Amino acid sequence: MNKQVAISAENNEAGNSEIRDFEIRDYLRLDMFPHFMCPGCGHGIALRALLWAIHSQGIEKDKLAIVSGIGCSGRVGSYIDANTYHTTHGRPLAFATGLKMARPDLHVVVITGDGDCLAIGGNHLIHAARRNLDITCLMLNNEIYGMTGGQVSPTTPHDRFTTTTPAGNKEPVFDASRLAEAAGAGFVGREITIHLPRLRDLIAEGLAYNGFSFIEVMSDCTEVNGRKNDLGSSPEMVLGQTRTMRPSEYDNNVVDHPFRPNTMNTGVFVRSDRPEYGATYRNMVDEIQALQQKGQK
Amino acid sequence: MMKNLEMRFSGAGGQGLQLCAKIFSRALTGEGYHVSMSQSYEPTSRGGLSRADIVASDGTPDYPLTTDLNTVLILDQAAADASEGIIRDDALVIVDPRRTKNPPKGKFKVIELPLSETAISLGSERVTNVVATGVIAELSDDIELEIVERALRQSSPKKFLDMNMDALQAGVDLARGVKSA
Amino acid sequence: MTLQSSGQETINLQGNHACALGAVAAGCRFYAGYPITPSSEVAERLAKELPKVGGVFLQMEDEIASIAATLGASMGGVKAMTATSGPGFSLKQENLGYGMGAEIPCVVVNVMRGGPSTGMPTRPAQGDLMQARWGTHGDHPVIALTPGSVEEIYQQTARAFALSEKLRIPVIVLFDESLGHLVETVALPDVTDYEKTVRKWATGKPEDYKPYKADKDGVPPMARPGDGYRVHTTGLTVDESGWPTQKSAEVEPVMKRLLGKVALNNDLVESFEDMDCEDAEVVVVALGVVGRAARKAVRELRASGVKAGLFRPITLWPFPTKSFRKLTKKAKHFVVAEMNAGQLILEIGAAKTGRQSVTGLNRFDGVPISPSQIKQSVKEVLGHE
Repeated sequence: MNKQVAISAENNEAGNSEIRDFEIRDYLRLDMFPHFMCPGCGHGIALRALLWAIHSQGIEKDKLAIVSGIGCSGRVGSYIDANTYHTTHGRPLAFATGLKMARPDLHVVVITGDGDCLAIGGNHLIHAARRNLDITCLMLNNEIYGMTGGQVSPTTPHDRFTTTTPAGNKEPVFDASRLAEAAGAGFVGREITIHLPRLRDLIAEGLAYNGFSFIEVMSDCTEVNGRKNDLGSSPEMVLGQTRTMRPSEYDNNVVDHPFRPNTMNTGVFVRSDRPEYGATYRNMVDEIQALQQKGQK
Repeated sequence: MMKNLEMRFSGAGGQGLQLCAKIFSRALTGEGYHVSMSQSYEPTSRGGLSRADIVASDGTPDYPLTTDLNTVLILDQAAADASEGIIRDDALVIVDPRRTKNPPKGKFKVIELPLSETAISLGSERVTNVVATGVIAELSDDIELEIVERALRQSSPKKFLDMNMDALQAGVDLARGVKSA
Repeated sequence: MTLQSSGQETINLQGNHACALGAVAAGCRFYAGYPITPSSEVAERLAKELPKVGGVFLQMEDEIASIAATLGASMGGVKAMTATSGPGFSLKQENLGYGMGAEIPCVVVNVMRGGPSTGMPTRPAQGDLMQARWGTHGDHPVIALTPGSVEEIYQQTARAFALSEKLRIPVIVLFDESLGHLVETVALPDVTDYEKTVRKWATGKPEDYKPYKADKDGVPPMARPGDGYRVHTTGLTVDESGWPTQKSAEVEPVMKRLLGKVALNNDLVESFEDMDCEDAEVVVVALGVVGRAARKAVRELRASGVKAGLFRPITLWPFPTKSFRKLTKKAKHFVVAEMNAGQLILEIGAAKTGRQSVTGLNRFDGVPISPSQIKQSVKEVLGHE
């Protein structure tokens, strides 16, 4: 049995009994193990935080749909004992939009990555945010294409070495949370994996939010990103995040590269009461059908 | 046994040629014809060759597109050559000379009528298509004027109804002038 | 006999609208699409019709999102469709393959226009026949239907849903701009049977259910989210349990089953029109609107004593090879008329068994092939002129 699975909830801080009762094995497909994630990868912690948040929200597994794309993030959903859809590269948000509109009774969670969500699937992100359909989007940002061996992504920091930026990355980067906010996402937040309970609570709030919630999880890719850039072991990388990523307001960001602050804030950035699209659509349908019935009489 | 009819309404995009075809489609369907209406237009909404065709037959035709036109309307030079080779010798070819300087030539008879000028005198060039509808309805042996009139009435938005009815009548009058000449 | 004297109610209906109405009649309750000439009327009509029946209409941000959303809705258990034209059809290919591999029912309509690239948006063409067969990467099963009239667009779109549900496969409906925009007087056929056809849902204990374990018809029952099965769906090659595998011993039987399921149900899938083929010396092969030009040509040729016949595939893919061979045994020549530079002709070359000549009649100038061109071509083949 993998060690990550063996860690039980009792060792973690827990606010209420519901959270204390959390047993990760109840939410995993243990017959899929061992999992594919590299030692030290932050995606496993994000998975744990997600499952814990699902547990805390009392979401039934039968009513839970996990939709993912391609890349390391795309594989994470496979381990969840739910209705899981591993779709094509960049398209999980579009697939999830169809699924949620067809089945409003399902809780639809998208697990995506910085390449999947911001590069090949960037168009779907801004439009999912604009529509504000009740989907929770968990973007695992490890700042690199890990699955394909370490190519530059839209969030790879300046001067970072990757297999396709042998002289360091010279392209400006995206601040994904600000992008989602600008496009209209009703709920936006960011957290780092070392603060597991905070991440869990952020995801839980996103799940509870009635609209499009975008949660950016700052993950770490020790195996590819870390090694190529001498960022140290996983604990060192994660500790490094605590120095550059703190709870704060956007205004406090220090920006010296386009779109990407060199210190990043964490926390909840947006909580809006924009109307949720699915409900709006169904109201329209009800009105049209009522008019039709009236016409028939 | 009903006669097969093939009609073409052609000109430039924006001249309301689809509406002409729709009115005659409606009228012919009411007479028990099976109607196939096709169109060709440019990707832009205004200008360029535009045409709308009708094949009216007794039951579903083998081929729904025109190959042998017996009625042709030409409202613009852009459409003058578009029907080359598929106009019957006994066809009714109606042309608006103001915008069609070089009408097609053939064994068929070309009738030139001031369609757009008549429309302008009624207050809007945009009803040229309805004037033309009146002309064709009056000159055609295959369809009754009153059926076309009813179809136009059904197809007209309320605020254009009076204008359209005037334009139809003006077209009928133009056609009667041709007949008596 | 006119349609009206037969007592059936008739309407004048555009091909694209017939496609939309056929879909709704077959039980389609989800559409996602992106505006593109000359297919936009399919979307516009569904935007009006679907809310009336409680369905979902979505105009997505792009072509790829449209098919991805369609697949998502179908996985939710709803009959779903998208429509497009050539450029959009190209963009959809990857996700079409996902639907074929993961066995997700849906209908993809392609109203063909002149190509390549942006081509001639308002002119008809039949240039996507091979793209429909081979467009997506890797080996895959395929069903593509090519209706030839407004009535057939209604009927075949409805049938596409039934086939897609029954065989768990995206079904492609192909027709060209001239048919999409053609208005014809039609009596809408009854499609209740197609409406009643829904996919086999998983039954029995969830722990015994294997998402890709097929029944005798080669088609595995599907699990619906919310029913307790909690299945994994992926574009990766999977074993019967739905888990990814790259072991050749596991991959081979799964792929064989996937690639063979359409042929296994050929009786259901195959459809074509044949006219005077049995004793024909020359058989004209054509589909869609060209099939109708060919019908007129063959009728006129027969009237003038020429032994001509027509074979018009309605199911283009898989091509009805066996029936074609059987029906055209006596033919000495084939004339393949198509609005492209020569695609269907490749299949005829492969399907024929004898030493018949195969002649292509091709147009790719945005104008449909006329009956007189076909007559001319047949006469030339026979050496009459």
